Amino acid sequence: MSSRKTRLAAAILVAGALTVTTACSSGHSNSDGSGKSTAGASKAPVKATSISVGTAEDSKGPAAAEPGAKKGGTVNMIDRDDFSHLDPAQIYMNYNAEVSLLFTRQLTGYKTAEDGTQKLVGDLATDTGTTTDGGKTWKFTLKDGVKWQDGSPITSADVKYSIERTYASFIKSGPTYIQSWISGADYRSAYEGPFGGKELDAVQTPDDKTVVITFPEAHTDANFTLAMTGYGIVPKAHDTKEEYDKKPFSSGPYQITEHVTDRSLDLERNPNWDPATDPIRNAYPDKWHMAFGVQAQQSTERFMADNGDDKNTFSFHNQVHTTYIDQVKADEKLKPRTLEGLTPYVDYYYINNSRIKDQKVREALVKAFPHQQTRQLQGGTSYGDYATSYMSPTVLGYESYDAYGILKKPQGDPEAAKALLTEANAVGTTIVYAYNNTPVQQKVTEAIRDALEKAGFKFVPKPLDAKTYYDAIGQVNNEYDLYWGGWGADWPTGYTSLQPVWDGRAIADGASNYAHLNDPEINSAIDAAVKIADPVAQGKAWAAIDKQLQDKAVSIPDVYQRSLSLYGSGLGGVEFDTLAGLQSPLNIYVK
Amino acid sequence: MTTPTGATTDGNTSRPGSTSDLADNATTDAPGDPGFRGLSPGQLMWRRFLRDRTGVVSACVVLLFVAVAVFAPLIAMLYGKNPEAHYGQEDVSLLTDSGLPTGPNGGMSGDFWFGLEPGLGRDVMMLLIYGIRTSLIIAVATSLLTTVIGVALGIAAGYLGGKTDYFIGRVIDVLMSFPSQIFLIATMPVVTSLLVNSDEKNPDWLPFVSVTLVLSLLGWMGLARILRGVSLSLREREFIEAAKVTGASPARIIFKEILPNLWTPILVQSTLALPAFVTAEAGLSYLGVGVSEPTPDWGRMIADASGFLRTDVTFLLFPGLAMVLFVLAFNLLGDSVRDAFDPKTNR
Repeated sequence: MSSRKTRLAAAILVAGALTVTTACSSGHSNSDGSGKSTAGASKAPVKATSISVGTAEDSKGPAAAEPGAKKGGTVNMIDRDDFSHLDPAQIYMNYNAEVSLLFTRQLTGYKTAEDGTQKLVGDLATDTGTTTDGGKTWKFTLKDGVKWQDGSPITSADVKYSIERTYASFIKSGPTYIQSWISGADYRSAYEGPFGGKELDAVQTPDDKTVVITFPEAHTDANFTLAMTGYGIVPKAHDTKEEYDKKPFSSGPYQITEHVTDRSLDLERNPNWDPATDPIRNAYPDKWHMAFGVQAQQSTERFMADNGDDKNTFSFHNQVHTTYIDQVKADEKLKPRTLEGLTPYVDYYYINNSRIKDQKVREALVKAFPHQQTRQLQGGTSYGDYATSYMSPTVLGYESYDAYGILKKPQGDPEAAKALLTEANAVGTTIVYAYNNTPVQQKVTEAIRDALEKAGFKFVPKPLDAKTYYDAIGQVNNEYDLYWGGWGADWPTGYTSLQPVWDGRAIADGASNYAHLNDPEINSAIDAAVKIADPVAQGKAWAAIDKQLQDKAVSIPDVYQRSLSLYGSGLGGVEFDTLAGLQSPLNIYVK
Repeated sequence: MTTPTGATTDGNTSRPGSTSDLADNATTDAPGDPGFRGLSPGQLMWRRFLRDRTGVVSACVVLLFVAVAVFAPLIAMLYGKNPEAHYGQEDVSLLTDSGLPTGPNGGMSGDFWFGLEPGLGRDVMMLLIYGIRTSLIIAVATSLLTTVIGVALGIAAGYLGGKTDYFIGRVIDVLMSFPSQIFLIATMPVVTSLLVNSDEKNPDWLPFVSVTLVLSLLGWMGLARILRGVSLSLREREFIEAAKVTGASPARIIFKEILPNLWTPILVQSTLALPAFVTAEAGLSYLGVGVSEPTPDWGRMIADASGFLRTDVTFLLFPGLAMVLFVLAFNLLGDSVRDAFDPKTNR
């Protein structure tokens, strides 16, 4: 889930959002039931969602039935943007991955139990893979009865081919973990893809049902990596290369009937999908009709009105528009069809460690930062929970640890910050804050300016163009001290939530180590954590790294992002997918 | 405002067709006093203006706005608030968790007369009052700049004629064919980056200067065209001929003979242009390319408020009303000024 793209899109959306219609003006109150007007009072600490690795028994189909669900009908989906990619190998963004659940299967996948706990299970494979040498060699066995939409069986050769084609030059936007683990960072020069007739030796197929993947180094969470839609399966016989992005060949419960770019996508049942092979998907509706070009404000109004076809409508990505948050939360009628949950994204205000080297100054920044004010400007409690750690609570191994008392003083502590600055003899330090030049971010910048100036910093705001924001802050020699950025784990282990952002060896122009932290202690701790085979022990190691990062005050974690969304009253089984931060299509049925 | 033609030595004769005009008006202006004579055109204009009730009322409104802008710091002191403090964030009881005012009518109260801004919780009345400053400074500066450019180029084109006229005329044609709104949006960032290096802090004067420059660039052509036409016809008249014969330099002819006759269109045009610049500036800020935070600005306030139309309509009401009142008063004043100067023109 490339957080940068989704968040950027969100920023542009907010920039362009305006509201129509009118109402009489009365006072507003906080609608979280407390009755008091304590804006942003800290809630109970965030509860970590538990994720575990399932057994072969867990990997057996069919999926657990949704109580009260029945088959049939057409479900509508409205969203702002068309899916930018449908070719599995090109898919990194969360909403592309979410729709792909309906027609693309991977070796592994996530199954959500009724109590909200999630398990990694085998999807095409009979289990979550076995490794005998600590994560260097992974063996997967395919289930019996898994078929393509034309009825031909899915074989291990298809799996091998799917991995090989991620090397192809036209695959530009998918994940690159497996490729670079097999062939190194410059993997495209090591292997050109399957179209020239060459094969990738690291993936072996001893028989039709068995796949063996070998890495030079141990990667103990490779079975999580293979659950990414980016490693979804593609048939060699029906691979149309670049064209495959428009209309992929289905291995899941639905197949695409029509896809009009930027307008609509229609799906119907795939008769050759066997529910007995699938522990993840409940395919209740007969058809799906997805329409694009609906802004968040529009979709909020439509869901609130709940008229006609909108009754049977949900939205993967569109959330409740900021100005309607209070109204939606206060409306008892909307409550049964409101979804709220924690997304995998954590918002940071990155401190540029190559410019601010004094740890005391960084601690002062962390102490002074006005979390409550900035959150209030962006939607309050619905925007997110105050973050203290770098790992999201949705990640395996998350532990709550509040090194700077942020939960006690989310509005910032200018006195404590000033004391730290005085101690470091750095009162009046200039902080160049780069921000996305949108109306909301201008206001957020005002709140930050106010807080930092109170703490004794000199504040210099630098507006950046929304389109080039990430390019500008991604420069290693950028001239900014503080800038916002979000990060979401690609799969829920500490590796993807910490390594890409805090590994000092990953510093490069445009790379995701925006804070430019290069701490030998952290680097070696990351190396050690990767090698731990037991997922729970590994999670503990990542949590320890997270604590170290906090103690060093390398950046300012701001919020664990939340999502607040609505759906139509005619649908049941609409659930929130915490791994993607979207509405999940898996259990939806028409009432 | 100086009396326009009073400055000239031969104000009466230099006014085209003024003899009869003056005689007419002098008698109608003061019918009860047949012996009264010798009013200057400026005094006449002032009398006509005072008789126009709409004009006087709008002039008062305009003066009120100007006074509020000038005395903004004094008002802030008496009122006890300032436009920069985030009251709603300092006192958590004023705003809800998602930033809407807790009080009814956008948080209007004895402390915050016009309510609170959702989000940052600044005082709406202070934002409005300081916003007048922003609007007025930019609009007045732009009016002055465009008037100077328009007068210089218009008279030059009209009086000099020939190639100068042709050249200036084509420049005007080209500039007038620009789609102005799009051009303004496109040039704003360019002008800003020309004025300040990307690694420096944007100084507070920057948005003022760049908005003024950009608006002036496309704002002077109308006036220049009118002045060109008038001076073209004046050029051929006897008093100019006479001045030429007596050996007056072109500079003297332009400044002492032609310019005094142009004060009417200049004043009328610039009083009408001022409210147009106020709206243009607000338009730019509304679109997000004008004056940025933390400088208070009406256009940006309206843009922000439009997002709260359904949840906090009070926040839109005040800047909206203020804007309408301000622009309306200025436009009516412009009309009245024109009527007073030029009673013969039909609208």
